[in-house]
Amino acid sequence: MNQVSIVGVGMIPFGRHPERSLVSMAAEAARAALRDAKVEPSEVGAGFFSNGLAARLFSDHTIGQNVFWEVGINRIPVYNIENACTSASTAFCLAWSQVAAGQVDVAMVVGAEKMYVPELGLIHSGQSELDTQLGLVAPAGFALRAKRHMAEFGTTEAQLAAVAVKNRRHAGLNPYAQFREPITLEDVIAAPMIVDPLTRLQCCPNADGAAAVVLAGPGFVASRRGGEAAGRAIRVHAAVYCTGSYENPQDLTNWETDERGCRLAYETAGMGPENLDVVECHDAFTISEILHYEALGLCPVGEGGRLVESGETSLGGRIPVNPSGGLLSRGHPPGATGAAQLFEIVTQLRGEAGSRQVEGARVGLAHCMGGDKAADSKSCTVVIMSR
Amino acid sequence: MSQLTEAHHIPPMMEGVFVREAQDGRPHLLGGYCAACDRRYFPRPSYCRTCLEPVEETDLGTDGFLHAFTVVRIRPPLGFPQPYAVGYVDLAVGGLRVFCLVDPDRIGELKIGIPVELRVASFGDDGAGERRLRPYFTPATTGVAL
Repeated sequence: MNQVSIVGVGMIPFGRHPERSLVSMAAEAARAALRDAKVEPSEVGAGFFSNGLAARLFSDHTIGQNVFWEVGINRIPVYNIENACTSASTAFCLAWSQVAAGQVDVAMVVGAEKMYVPELGLIHSGQSELDTQLGLVAPAGFALRAKRHMAEFGTTEAQLAAVAVKNRRHAGLNPYAQFREPITLEDVIAAPMIVDPLTRLQCCPNADGAAAVVLAGPGFVASRRGGEAAGRAIRVHAAVYCTGSYENPQDLTNWETDERGCRLAYETAGMGPENLDVVECHDAFTISEILHYEALGLCPVGEGGRLVESGETSLGGRIPVNPSGGLLSRGHPPGATGAAQLFEIVTQLRGEAGSRQVEGARVGLAHCMGGDKAADSKSCTVVIMSR
Repeated sequence: MSQLTEAHHIPPMMEGVFVREAQDGRPHLLGGYCAACDRRYFPRPSYCRTCLEPVEETDLGTDGFLHAFTVVRIRPPLGFPQPYAVGYVDLAVGGLRVFCLVDPDRIGELKIGIPVELRVASFGDDGAGERRLRPYFTPATTGVAL
């Protein structure tokens, strides 16, 4: 297989954009990524557009063709991808596979979501699914995991809250993040309870947003050698996508899918957690980040709460996690999140992250997870990159 | 409680998930069983994942142990009470761990590991305001038969 590199990234600040259309947000991120890559629209061989909610909220379909047209890209294959929270990272894995196989030299992923609308309601795994009919709203599945983790490993409310405090502190340094005002442990614990033990500040907020990534094969990167674009190319060592096992019973203190996805990515890259300098993970809720630490092998099983409390996953610590502010402070537009995580890791590995820069970052990992079925996750993606 | 009243004319929120009154007079949970592979499922799928033969309906009983629970305090979906409780129950028969509603009137008595038993009552609606029967677990009063 061909070595794949990320040669361009772009995104718009996440937040409330009531005046913006989904397509205009997506096009702005796409244009920024093309400019960053110094790639012409005519050079893109395949386009992947990801979105989670527009079919339900706006009755819009096959949006990717509209988005790519806006940035001068037509005639090529365009794929529309929906995969809940991993929509954009799943699109990235597909784009990666086409470039790795040599089918196209340059592929592009654009992810976008517009969700600050009154019609949104509660996020769940599917209206006709039994779990939804029995009251499984998204935060409840994570709250049940938090309660088991607390019971089995002694994880505390303060440790859960520490994830939100850390990621908000990081977001204060990120102009693309939605919520940037610092918060304290007391703020997090005293916030309104959503689902015990998760308060409002422990649940990722909605956001309107878009992000884009340009991938290229070795021929393209070599042809630009000496140019600025090639010098800023980020190598992809693993782009793993796996789905759930849905076996019964499930252990609620981890996701088997999460562990399997991380293990496969490390095996593919020939690396381990000790090689990582920076991580973006799917902190949909505070407990999620703690469980992902354990799946990623950043600490032993059961130690995730103590790891965040130690400060080792803060900027300046041993292995900074979510220097962008994560889903918890950047906001979580499902169709765009996976691409925004890649934007952050690429920016970090290029040494262009400004005041939130992880010093000397050479290897980074972007981790995303989505959906819920039979107490398991429906999808997990793990991408390992280096400069 | 008023919202969990007996109401024989109210339809279930989904077919094939429970029976209101089994031979022992108690509500029972229904799942799937493949005899050839000795595999149980909840809910019942069309085909056994191992042999791809049709899965027959099976009785998963009425008793279990509360593996985890939580209380949902936000504005509830489907006409549920606010707050309402959900959890995972380890069924006494068959070894399955199932997601479930938990008695919203007995939240203060819930603890991980306690024995629970199934009830069926008018609980929430179909999303359009029509009442529906739903199964939920409540702290056991009749003792758990293993």
